[in-house]
Amino acid sequence: MVLIIGGSGSGKSAYAEETVVSLAKKSASLEENILEMKKYYLAAMQVFDEEGKRRVKRHRELRSGKGFLTIEQPTEIHKALEQMEEGDRAALLECISNLTANEMFKEGEARPETQTAEQIVEGVKLLKENTTHLVVVSNNVFEDGVVYDEATMAYIRGMGIINQSLAKLSDQVVEVVAGIPIVLL
Amino acid sequence: MKLVIGGYAQGKLDYVLAKYHLPETAVWDGAWPDGGCPLDEAVVINHFHQWVKRRMSEGGCPEKEVRLFLETYGNCIIISDEVGNGIVPIEPLEREYRERVGRILIDLAKEAEEVERVLCGIGQKIK
Repeated sequence: MVLIIGGSGSGKSAYAEETVVSLAKKSASLEENILEMKKYYLAAMQVFDEEGKRRVKRHRELRSGKGFLTIEQPTEIHKALEQMEEGDRAALLECISNLTANEMFKEGEARPETQTAEQIVEGVKLLKENTTHLVVVSNNVFEDGVVYDEATMAYIRGMGIINQSLAKLSDQVVEVVAGIPIVLL
Repeated sequence: MKLVIGGYAQGKLDYVLAKYHLPETAVWDGAWPDGGCPLDEAVVINHFHQWVKRRMSEGGCPEKEVRLFLETYGNCIIISDEVGNGIVPIEPLEREYRERVGRILIDLAKEAEEVERVLCGIGQKIK
């Protein structure tokens, strides 16, 4: 499992896609009977309006050239497994910030961040155990020094807990800065 | 002195305590030890940025004061949030706060024997 973190517009998504493509190829070449492993894109973003729909459509088209199958899974991320074919498979989960927001605020009132974090980490663990390769994208939302309202601070803390836990589960942790991957672990 | 920086909620304090095998009693939260702390004991200044903010609001001069503290606690570990990687705030005091924290951290980093940046609980030695 690889965890990729970066700011907005850092190039982390493109790097994550490349990572999945190259991991899937490497494994596939080891076994001759598998030409290419299935690659899944797990989209956690929820679409609320036309702009969102357009963005999703554009991103889908960009990815389709690389052979990704998209699964939209804004909550309960482990359920994406139900939509995957059996056998060797690689998955790219994008991204933890959307998933955390969706899980934390889904019932109107915010759920405690520790509970939300635990649930998401468990879900990602299941994905990791049931895929050949898993790449997870997260955001660096921790460095602006702003003290937001308590719900937002709890959300940021939740993401902090999740990122730290996922880093422990990962074989590699990479920060992407200006499109340049910096290996942290 | 060692400097450890990183974003909010990145596990900086846990990282420091685990790495240097220190007890929680070594930790001073947004403050410097009062006179009662024996000089040979380990000192960790956590939430250093909050101390800067507090001294600013109290009309102090954190730039000078930190120098004085370092004369006494030269072996301390200072932990601070990175607060400058965001939109520059409209509020003048908030702007000044980020600017001053940033400048102080630059000074401390120059002097520090080691600077680490913590992201996702992982330390990265940057000096």
